[in-house]
Amino acid sequence: MAVYDHGYRGYEGSLMPARSRFLVISRYGLRDVFASRLFLAFFAFCFAWPLVLLAAMYLRYNAEALALIDVSAADLLDFFEVNTWFFQNLFLRAQLYLAFVVVLIVGPSLLSADLRNQAMPLYLSRPLTRTDYVLGKLLVLGVLVSAITWAPGLLLFAIQASLGGTEWLAEHWRVAPSMVVVSAVWTLCMSLPMLAIAAWVKWKPWARILFMGAILSGTAFGQFYKEFYDSWLGSMVVAFDVTAALSASVFGTEGNVQMPDVAAWLAAGLLVAVSAAMLYRRVRAFEVVS
Amino acid sequence: MTAAPPVIDLEALSVRFGRHQVLDDLRGAFSGRAIGLLGPNGAGKTTLLNTLLGFYKPTAGTARLFGMDITAQGRELRRQVGYMPERDAFIAGISGVRFVRLMAELSGLPPEAALERAHEVFFYVGLGEARYRNVETYSLGMKQLLKLAQAIVHGPSLLFLDEPTNGLDPPARLRMLRLIREIRDSGKANVVVSSHLLRDVEECCEEVLVLNRGRIATYCNLAEERRSNRRFLELDLGSEREGAGSSFRAAIEGLGCEVAVVNRRRIKAVLPPGIEVRHIYASAIEQDVTIRRLDYKRTSLEDIFLKAMEGDDGRL
Repeated sequence: MAVYDHGYRGYEGSLMPARSRFLVISRYGLRDVFASRLFLAFFAFCFAWPLVLLAAMYLRYNAEALALIDVSAADLLDFFEVNTWFFQNLFLRAQLYLAFVVVLIVGPSLLSADLRNQAMPLYLSRPLTRTDYVLGKLLVLGVLVSAITWAPGLLLFAIQASLGGTEWLAEHWRVAPSMVVVSAVWTLCMSLPMLAIAAWVKWKPWARILFMGAILSGTAFGQFYKEFYDSWLGSMVVAFDVTAALSASVFGTEGNVQMPDVAAWLAAGLLVAVSAAMLYRRVRAFEVVS
Repeated sequence: MTAAPPVIDLEALSVRFGRHQVLDDLRGAFSGRAIGLLGPNGAGKTTLLNTLLGFYKPTAGTARLFGMDITAQGRELRRQVGYMPERDAFIAGISGVRFVRLMAELSGLPPEAALERAHEVFFYVGLGEARYRNVETYSLGMKQLLKLAQAIVHGPSLLFLDEPTNGLDPPARLRMLRLIREIRDSGKANVVVSSHLLRDVEECCEEVLVLNRGRIATYCNLAEERRSNRRFLELDLGSEREGAGSSFRAAIEGLGCEVAVVNRRRIKAVLPPGIEVRHIYASAIEQDVTIRRLDYKRTSLEDIFLKAMEGDDGRL
């Protein structure tokens, strides 16, 4: 069926492995996301803070450079110390706020257009399951969030380890896997609800408003409950509290949220389970009206 | 050597949505190169296609495509299947060729092969010049062709076309039917066409399955039907000679034809194998009878369809 040969012919060439088919969806999704220059600019901006921290780390160990900018090493050492708090709060917490914006921008555009234009039968009539489809879309958010959270975090960690020596590494080794785990859990907890809402409302602006509304109303209700009943139970619906408690649990630090670790994990698990159920109810070839 | 399994094999297939029985105990094996699914709105045509594609789970029974079970081997089956949905379906914000390439890659083609095939099918369906346009800017007719392009880009062995001529103007409809016939005649793919337009099915299908209220109302092999129609004749006779009509009737009965007399000047005959129309004309000359009119029986798909739709009381 070459362009000059207008006859029908089948395809007899090689095929890609079936198990990696969801990666096609991720690849196309990522290419579409970066087609927007505005998003590209924002994404580049997300690396600004890690670069600032990298520069600070470099200066901290470079007396000559400090002398050039007329800052004494003692001042800088006083100003910050590169430890677990540095990675958990100064780096990761700030990056997760940016990641939230990334999920808010990209999440709805991944799903709502497909559902609005009835593209699901086209996807699902191919050797692709609903899980593959959701996994492919989720991976787009996973790659984007990873690129601005744990990936630069690990780079910073590696640089700090090379500058601080084995003693520092032995003391802070837990930071590296903790950054990966917290980022991964956070990605699931934010991306799945975002995709689920986008699948239900099928319109990007509404999906964003609803997602923001759910987080803000959860926070307001949770704060009210905490104040009124003087109970940590309210924190279970406050996204920021759950994230902070989870982070403290994984990094092994003292959290500022009075909430048991088990409760934080339970809240995250419930959120993921409910979102996945909502998503699976919507991501299907055709609606069945009983 | 074992015979090839049927293209579609329905084994007591039933689908129920809540209290509504949409498909009820469908049975049968179909092997035609082009199978038409006919039925009034709500007969279950689209549900049958969707069930065969694995979109709906059968509530009872099962079905096999090329001998493979639709539930147990769904993923493997969908590699060999192309599907053109009835409703508008596309991925927004991308060019036509990129859309079709994505569909090819999802079917397993490597990226380079997918791009090459995407360009080829665009020219094949006649959208070559529009392949870089955003799919949202396509007209209705172009979107139908685009849906066909994405359905055939991976070279499927079985093609499901759900109302392929919906919304097409007459030239576009003829083009779509020509493409379907070409795919059928290529021998590379079997085609299943679901439509409520009898003419479309008649023009491109060899076998027809008529559904009514979720059941198989009738099954008909159009090619055989056409062949058998050629054996039924209706003749209007004229002659000056007294008794010529009865002697002509006796003569063709002597050839082995079954004859029924409608009136003095009109008879109906069924030709036995080996006897052709020229033998009838020869008998007419011998008996000095003029054949004023000779018609083949014309049982159209419409007759078959209407008969299938009749209730027990003979009403539609």
